[in-house]
Amino acid sequence: MKQWSHEFLLRLRALFSKRRLDREMADELAFHQQMLKEKLVQQGVPVRDAERVAQLRFGNDARWHERLRELWQFRWPENMRRDIGYSIRVLRKSPGFTAIAILTLALGVGANTTVFSIVNGLLLRPLPVPESDRLVILEMLRGFPDPVEGFSEPMFRALENRHDSFAEVFATFHTEAEIKGESGTERAHVELVSGDFFAGLQSPPLMGRVLTRADDRKGGDLNGFAVVIGEGFWQRWFNRSPNVIGEKLRVDNTLFTVVGVMPKRFIGEDPLQRPEIFVPLAAEPAMDGDQNLTTGGLNAWWLTIMARLQPGVTMEQANARLAAESGPILRQVNADQSWIEKREKEHFRLVAESGSTGYTYTRMVFRKPLAAVFAMCGGVLLLACLNLASLLMARGAARQRELATKLSMGATRARLVQQLLVESLLISLAGTVFGLVMAPWVGESLSAMLLAGQFETNIDTNLDLRVFAFAAAIAVVATLLVGLVPALQATSSGLNEQMKQGQHTTQAHERQRLLPRVMMAIEVGLALLLVVGAGLLTSSLIKLYRSGAGFDARGLESIAVSMDHQSLRGEALMQFYRQVGEELKRQPGVKSVSWQWVVPLAHMTWDENFYALGGREEDIHENAIAPEYFKSMHIPLLSGRDFRWDDRASSGQKVIINRTAAKLLFRDRDAVGQTINKKNEKKVIPYEVIGVVGDAKYEDVRSAAPPTIYHAMTQGDKDQAPSFNAVVRMDGSASGLAAAARSIVQKINPEIPAPKVSSMETMVDESLSAERTMALLSAFFALCALGVTAVGLYGTLAYSTARRTTEIGIRMALGAKRTQVARMVFAQNSAIALAGTSGGLACAFFGSKLLASFLYGTSVRDPWIFAGSIMILALIASAASLLPALRAARIEPMRAIRCE
Amino acid sequence: MESIHDAGDLIPGTLEMLILKALYRGPQHGYAVAEWIQGTSQQVLKVEEGALYPALHRMELRGLLKAKWGASENNRRAKFYELTADGHKQLQSESRRWARLSSAVAFVMQAS
Repeated sequence: MKQWSHEFLLRLRALFSKRRLDREMADELAFHQQMLKEKLVQQGVPVRDAERVAQLRFGNDARWHERLRELWQFRWPENMRRDIGYSIRVLRKSPGFTAIAILTLALGVGANTTVFSIVNGLLLRPLPVPESDRLVILEMLRGFPDPVEGFSEPMFRALENRHDSFAEVFATFHTEAEIKGESGTERAHVELVSGDFFAGLQSPPLMGRVLTRADDRKGGDLNGFAVVIGEGFWQRWFNRSPNVIGEKLRVDNTLFTVVGVMPKRFIGEDPLQRPEIFVPLAAEPAMDGDQNLTTGGLNAWWLTIMARLQPGVTMEQANARLAAESGPILRQVNADQSWIEKREKEHFRLVAESGSTGYTYTRMVFRKPLAAVFAMCGGVLLLACLNLASLLMARGAARQRELATKLSMGATRARLVQQLLVESLLISLAGTVFGLVMAPWVGESLSAMLLAGQFETNIDTNLDLRVFAFAAAIAVVATLLVGLVPALQATSSGLNEQMKQGQHTTQAHERQRLLPRVMMAIEVGLALLLVVGAGLLTSSLIKLYRSGAGFDARGLESIAVSMDHQSLRGEALMQFYRQVGEELKRQPGVKSVSWQWVVPLAHMTWDENFYALGGREEDIHENAIAPEYFKSMHIPLLSGRDFRWDDRASSGQKVIINRTAAKLLFRDRDAVGQTINKKNEKKVIPYEVIGVVGDAKYEDVRSAAPPTIYHAMTQGDKDQAPSFNAVVRMDGSASGLAAAARSIVQKINPEIPAPKVSSMETMVDESLSAERTMALLSAFFALCALGVTAVGLYGTLAYSTARRTTEIGIRMALGAKRTQVARMVFAQNSAIALAGTSGGLACAFFGSKLLASFLYGTSVRDPWIFAGSIMILALIASAASLLPALRAARIEPMRAIRCE
Repeated sequence: MESIHDAGDLIPGTLEMLILKALYRGPQHGYAVAEWIQGTSQQVLKVEEGALYPALHRMELRGLLKAKWGASENNRRAKFYELTADGHKQLQSESRRWARLSSAVAFVMQAS
């Protein structure tokens, strides 16, 4: 050890004083020569002869220096430098190979790094708060296979004060609210937070103070409700005024006093959200008026609960305590014995899960698709590596004489392997750099695609240390995968034999040529897997689009009119909507206008239990609509009639149901004229069915149309929120619609915020964004896989055929026909393709089940897709093999034999 | 690849030991080391420069020798080598090993 470090230090010194070292060597040798000369002269040799003798004994100065200098150099970097130089020369000699190699790897590495950066931003990056590993997310087990995260307010209040395992328990809810101040009105991202939110996240304010338990009380403190704003909002709204503390801010018609400003780096508990304003949870009833979620009590499950573990308490202990407390908490929030029994039957239990990366709903949605995409990426990378390895191996075979010559000149096998590995390292380094350069750009568009339609979310896909480490790991693995096997094989024993025998020894390498073939076969199998996967996902997406939403989304616009904070109610409100509808209808391009309460595909649900006389209670989705709704939506009216504006509450509750609901409630009987009942507390409310319409999707496009009941909005009960959405059937461009809607609404009442227009067609697209992204990516990966495989099949065959030129020449000289030669070469790849396809097919047959949860209306073993994928691969393989086969057939026998 | 000129007339591996011995008497430059070995062995052992200097440098790197520039007997600038503590130790173990080896060889050769 000591000796090693001594040597290292001396060499290090030599590295930095090369010049001095060289001069000293020269001086030392000159001195020796001089002494030698003097000795000779003393012995009587003439001066001139002495000089010549000394010169002869010493030989070439440069050689001396070289030898001594070598001693003083670090051997490893010196060899490395030479290997790199040599490798660059070799790689430059075959630019086609190099370009393909780098591109294939760049693709593999780039795709993996990109997807990893998204996985990192979404799943791995810890929240930027102190000791984020002590944070937990609370969930409920309620008889479903997966835990549920949405809590009700009473449940949270029951948990908030239990400090035996948690230092702080806090609840949050993200929403959009109307902000009014001296500088105008705008909508902003508001987060409702409970008292211990900031304490739990241990985040200090930039100025002022944070919200505390004292702020989270009904009515706030003496000065009303307090609010904390984000740095961005402070800048935008208050122009970074230092006197912001104490300023008033009206949020959803509720007066707040600014008490603090949070720094920009504070993003709350959801890594994808960027809330601008934090208001106390207790302010929700005031902000949301009669439709507030807090009074919804145990019927509104809307809060995300997180907690910080008490110092010293482990996750297991916290979970054990939560399990024990689940029963008492239930009894605390509701005295109703039947309700408690129902929960107990569901095996209701509270659990804590690690919350170090924060809580985000998106994570739950995309965890599985991301895993699938990641797996596909891995497949592409593996494919790229296999491909390069087999190409290198084929090249190694072609370079065997070069290597054998080096071995015979005294190079050790380790040195040769190192040299070959350097070559593949260079390739994978270039590929990785190329891939990394592309990664952020692709990552951004990919995450934008994933998150399409989600309100103001962003995944931080920046390349951080973890991403770089990942890319580096990939590069190293790729180098080894790509380089090691070919290098070991190319330098294996028996090289001397080969050198003696040149390229005639076809028999001898038969075994060696098996490995690249097996690798190519695996590659073909992998490619088949990717193609089958892409085929299944794409066909599922097409089926989703074809199955449609049940209504015609093309040319359909939805206009959200926010009336929650207006005083209009009842008859006057209906009059308002009718008037707005009439005015909208007069706009150019508008064909018909109606209203609906729930916008389909917006992931909103309104459902209750209904029953037909003598039938079971069924869970049925509901919506409240205006007349001409079905005409505007292009939903067929199958029987009965539409609503009219004069269907009033007084004329008896009338409903229209969809075909599925009719079948569920009335089987084969005609539903029109029948009665549906709803139990409401002690009363039974009857509804008369006046029409049956076609099925339309409700929450999303993936799920089948649920049984649905349409109420007339004119008969609305008092629970119904006053904000409706116009459905506008357009013929032509909808570009002027937003401006028109705003002027119509504000002409009636300037207090009403500008309505929001969104295209239903875009909503269908966005509702399928995960499916679309997956199908698109899988198709892209499959295409890449096909391309890479084609190159690999062509490359390996071309190399091996080139090496057999003489053999083929002899065969032809002995009478083999050109077609026979072509067939022989072609057959080589056919065997590989056949083996690979059957292997891949077997894997696909059993593995495609993993995709089952992503597929809609598509069997995981769809025979057409399997057959089609095999066809595509067969075609690609044939195309890739044809060229070398034809080239082999064109070999001139005489020239081929002479060339050795 | 170059083959190592490990002293034409020398038993392989003994050059280092001889250098250590030559320097035992005090710091010397390369020429003097070669002359001393040649003279002391009565011109039997010829040390070639091509082997001597790489060996000296190698030993310096390994910490057996220490080098210093100084004035030679005829007042020329020369590089003087000197044994380090490690060098002394190495010399001891090498001479012991050599004594065992040579007597063993002698035994074998004297056997009838």
